[in-house]
Amino acid sequence: MGVRSRPIPKAPTQIAGLDDVLEGGLPRGRTTLVSGGPGSGKTVLGLEFLCSGAMSGEPGVFVTFEERAEAVRQNAMSMGWDLAALEKAGKVAIVEARLFGEEVISGEFDIQGLLAILGGHIKRIRARRVVMDALDVLLRVFNDPRRERSELYRLHEWLMDRGLTNVLTAKAQREGETVSQFEFLDFMADCVIRLDHRVIGQVATRRLRVIKYRGSGFGTNEYPYVISDHGIVLFPLTKAELTHQPLGPKVSSGLAGLDAMLDGGFRRSACVLISGSSGTGKTTLASAFARAASRRGERVLYVNFEESQEAMVAGMLSAGIDLRPSLRARKLMVQTALPEAMGSDNHLVRVLEAMDSFKPDHLIVDAISACVRMGSEQAAFDYLMRLIAVVKDRSITAVLTNQTTDLPDSGEELSGIGFSSVVDAVIQLRFVDAGQEIGRQILIIKARGSGHSNRRESYYITDKGIEFPNSLRLPSARAGHADEKDGER
Amino acid sequence: MSQAPKAKLRRGKGQRGHYLLRLFMAGNGPNSKQALSNLRHLCRERLKGRCTIETVDVLKNFNAAVRDNILVTPALILLAPLPKVIILGNLSDRQKVLLALRLSEGDS
Repeated sequence: MGVRSRPIPKAPTQIAGLDDVLEGGLPRGRTTLVSGGPGSGKTVLGLEFLCSGAMSGEPGVFVTFEERAEAVRQNAMSMGWDLAALEKAGKVAIVEARLFGEEVISGEFDIQGLLAILGGHIKRIRARRVVMDALDVLLRVFNDPRRERSELYRLHEWLMDRGLTNVLTAKAQREGETVSQFEFLDFMADCVIRLDHRVIGQVATRRLRVIKYRGSGFGTNEYPYVISDHGIVLFPLTKAELTHQPLGPKVSSGLAGLDAMLDGGFRRSACVLISGSSGTGKTTLASAFARAASRRGERVLYVNFEESQEAMVAGMLSAGIDLRPSLRARKLMVQTALPEAMGSDNHLVRVLEAMDSFKPDHLIVDAISACVRMGSEQAAFDYLMRLIAVVKDRSITAVLTNQTTDLPDSGEELSGIGFSSVVDAVIQLRFVDAGQEIGRQILIIKARGSGHSNRRESYYITDKGIEFPNSLRLPSARAGHADEKDGER
Repeated sequence: MSQAPKAKLRRGKGQRGHYLLRLFMAGNGPNSKQALSNLRHLCRERLKGRCTIETVDVLKNFNAAVRDNILVTPALILLAPLPKVIILGNLSDRQKVLLALRLSEGDS
């Protein structure tokens, strides 16, 4: 018997996030089934696996049963993978194995022809990987479950005998519609990955799930993914939730008055929600934080869904906050996008890519209320939850602004679109009728892991920024800026 | 056939009415053997003297399989007379084969 915990050998896919879910990659020398509906990205997944192998010393053969070889090359090129060059270098072979649909069938036959062709290419380029795209198209020609099974088995054995790491893709059946060939495929494969492509509220959402993995552990959740312009990007959300970091030490909000109300400032890697109706100064508050952080040499990524960078910089300049030095010093990066310009998954990829390259200490999203324009409340919710999970995992402070309606005291809206549990601090801004004029008041509604003022305080937005007329202090707090090391209470 | 009562007829290969058949086989597999035997039988009966059978073993000649895109074996290609026809299988369904080769009863 002996020890059975030795991990099985794996072939990395190099697909962002997928190797984490697969705990290293696909089973080496074995069969993986990737099934999903049209447009779910089966071909892309197969191509990416093949190309990453070809570029790291494992040549591969791509067999296409549905598309023309040229279409496959173009498809790959749109993701930045130059198949033609890899073919020329003898690292990739494409086999166009399309049946014409006009064949007459008389009596039994088998896939020896295909295996002969495949074998020839494998020998020629010394292939270690094989991807067979749209295998269901080949199986359909047999039109007999028993023969489909025997040919699948023949193929499986043939690939195994040669120690080839192989990915078979097949169109999934619609729900409730089970076909024996797929059950058998599921059974036969050592690893089964399902891709799901749904449209919710006019926005495409994609989910990946690993159904089984013989001899290996794997992430068991449904993982959102997108098809970006360089392949599949997966978000192992639940992993991030499990490992996210505790709140860090205090970090100044950039406003002495607000720091006093917060007993020193925000907590690093907290998720802070600034809520208020239009004109209460949410962007000003967020910008004050951004400027102060960048002056300390920290990096801030500012995602603005409301206005262009120029408009934002000009607007803040009139409120006494000059963001230009921060931008010049590359401590502040502003990413602007119209929410409706793309689906929430693409928005997420965009911000994650910016986070990967810019490596911010703090993230500002202005305003999360605009996110519903990505398609639906569900899309906005998914976007924010996934973004916050990543942010928490990386110990990045998140400052989110939320525009509430003008109804007086719309307190129930404070938790934004239903994700109050991940929000660590809530700051409410509102207008008040102060006799001859309209005044503004700020209130800390919640500040997890921190003492805070319970009073509504007045503030003004002047050409020198946000000013608090009362010199604010908590009974326990010192005046002025809080010491950053003052993390624990 | 009816519109060509010329003397050149029945001279053999390359001529109208001559059948050029290419059979793709996989070694000595049972289906391949059966396909060859079925085909020979059919030619003897229906195409005596006006048919050429060319066999290709895909296990030995994978380039030929690539050229004609032969994924399954046995596979029979009718190369002449045109139009080209592809028949998959061991050719056990005789009526289907005759029909595909345009040799069904009353056709010849």
